[in-house]
Amino acid sequence: MTESIPNNAVISARHVDFWFGEGELKKQVLFDVSVDVLAGEIVLMTGPSGSGKTTLLTLIGALRRVQAGQLSVLNRPLHDASDEDRVQTRREIGFIFQQHNLLPFLTARQNVELMFELHPEIPRGETRRMTDDLLRSVGLGDRLDYYPARLSGGQKQRVAIARALAANPRLILADEPTAALDSQSGRDVVNLLQELARNRACPILLVTHDPRILDVADRILNMEDGRIQEVRSEH
Amino acid sequence: MSPFFVAWSQLSFHRVKLMVAAAGVVVAVMLMLVQLGIRQGAMDNSVAIARRVNADLVVVSPRTKTIFASAQFPRSLLYRAGSSPDVVTIQEMYMSQGRLRNPWTKLEFPVSVYGVDPENPMMHLPGYEKFRSELRQTDRILFDGLSRDNYGPVEQTLEQSGPMDVEVNLRKVRIVGAIRVGISINSDGNIFMSSANFFRLFPSRAPGSVDLGLIQLRQGADHEAVKREIQEYLGAEAKVLTRDQLIDSEIVFIRENAPIDFIFGMGAAVGFFIGFVVVYQILYTEVTNHLPQYATLKAMGFDDRYLLRVVLNQAVILSLLGYFPGFFLALILYRVATRAIQMQFSMTTERAVSVFALTMIMCIMSAMIAIRKVRTADPADVF
Repeated sequence: MTESIPNNAVISARHVDFWFGEGELKKQVLFDVSVDVLAGEIVLMTGPSGSGKTTLLTLIGALRRVQAGQLSVLNRPLHDASDEDRVQTRREIGFIFQQHNLLPFLTARQNVELMFELHPEIPRGETRRMTDDLLRSVGLGDRLDYYPARLSGGQKQRVAIARALAANPRLILADEPTAALDSQSGRDVVNLLQELARNRACPILLVTHDPRILDVADRILNMEDGRIQEVRSEH
Repeated sequence: MSPFFVAWSQLSFHRVKLMVAAAGVVVAVMLMLVQLGIRQGAMDNSVAIARRVNADLVVVSPRTKTIFASAQFPRSLLYRAGSSPDVVTIQEMYMSQGRLRNPWTKLEFPVSVYGVDPENPMMHLPGYEKFRSELRQTDRILFDGLSRDNYGPVEQTLEQSGPMDVEVNLRKVRIVGAIRVGISINSDGNIFMSSANFFRLFPSRAPGSVDLGLIQLRQGADHEAVKREIQEYLGAEAKVLTRDQLIDSEIVFIRENAPIDFIFGMGAAVGFFIGFVVVYQILYTEVTNHLPQYATLKAMGFDDRYLLRVVLNQAVILSLLGYFPGFFLALILYRVATRAIQMQFSMTTERAVSVFALTMIMCIMSAMIAIRKVRTADPADVF
């Protein structure tokens, strides 16, 4: 891998190291990770559990502070970002988690609409229309006013996707979005993500163990023992 | 979507939980209002007699701590006050504790006895002067219709069958009518009469000494200056007070001698504490139960401030939901207490506002502590 950063890189990591713990218990989990994700790409990251995939994802998602190396996400250098900068970066990223973590006391529509609170520049009337469009686009047009408890696992994950897309993110980070779903719902969710990436030209970095969904990737990164082991191109 | 909307959705999602939380605040508000109300009521009723004094200046013995247990001073001293050109009227007043025998049960109960001039009482006693001709006769007295039930249905009997005979201090006297004055923690009942009749009930008292001297000043006289002037004529065996000083000294006496502030203040503090604990419990469990969701919101770019506003809004909602029912319950309890204790308790705007503020403070303090938990929601733990 070259040191030069491609100018259409959305994520670019150079020599990123990361440790957990302090003193004697300090344990390195990422070793010299260098990787780029380019605009419009769907990149899958696989690897055994404990290999550091999720840690790398939280670094890219500006959820943890970079300890060593350089990491730029959406043209922001996270290796010297303040807490406030990191919050700003997170607002431009759509997150999809293994657990949907929808607020149980808000309906599907309210859960999605809540995200517009982060974007006061969008007029209130707009947000309702955008919310309904999003939920329709993930196939939940008839479940707008359902509370999460009354939705199936797949439907909840689709609400979570709609929520992640609410404010037109420039990057989507997903952590095992299909792990809690049966194969059909999992497939639907992945197809949905693929379609959204194509339509919106929004790059997706997806951590997964799920071999059923590898075919959607433009590239697959394999992580082992805190190192990117191989970069395999599907095409 | 505003933090208020999120807060309300979260609280109202479990109706029962919300009702329990609100009930906790209701109890707290009610306790605070009732305890502070009774405290104020007990205080007000106890100084009510002092407040009824119309005189500009009052003379008491320097040994007197409260007019309910007054020491006497020589009457001759009181009339020296007449040397001041500003003095218009001088009047004696007598107060003592007697025993009135309930004519129905034949039991004796303590009663406050007042010897007040029927022509010019210099006290605010509505209806007193109407009876002046009866009161000039021997052994004729007036009864306070607001006295406790201890003495039997005196007021009703007066209304139905006119004057009735009772026994006070082993002497037969006739109650010719009733006026409404009110009782306090110092007295269970009151009877009023002329000073001549007062001395008939207390034959052992020296007729030359008075409990309270009442002085009316010329319109426009400087009360403080005249007070200093008269004090010089009177010397060390009598003390001159303005009407306000008399009221203040009564308040001080109650404060020092009856643990009103402590008992009812503590009751109110317990109310505050109950509310604080209930609200804290509810807010804390709400935050704890939703920690993963809060962490998710933080991961997606919500800052602590937004979540803190959600919790604070919940605190405000709880205080509003608790305050108003608590307020109305307290009004009902004031009525019940007024009937049970036979002293007047009423809501004041000042108390309503200050307890409202206390309720807000209580809920917001709980929120402040519960909020610390929000900060522990680590967005990096969501993955």
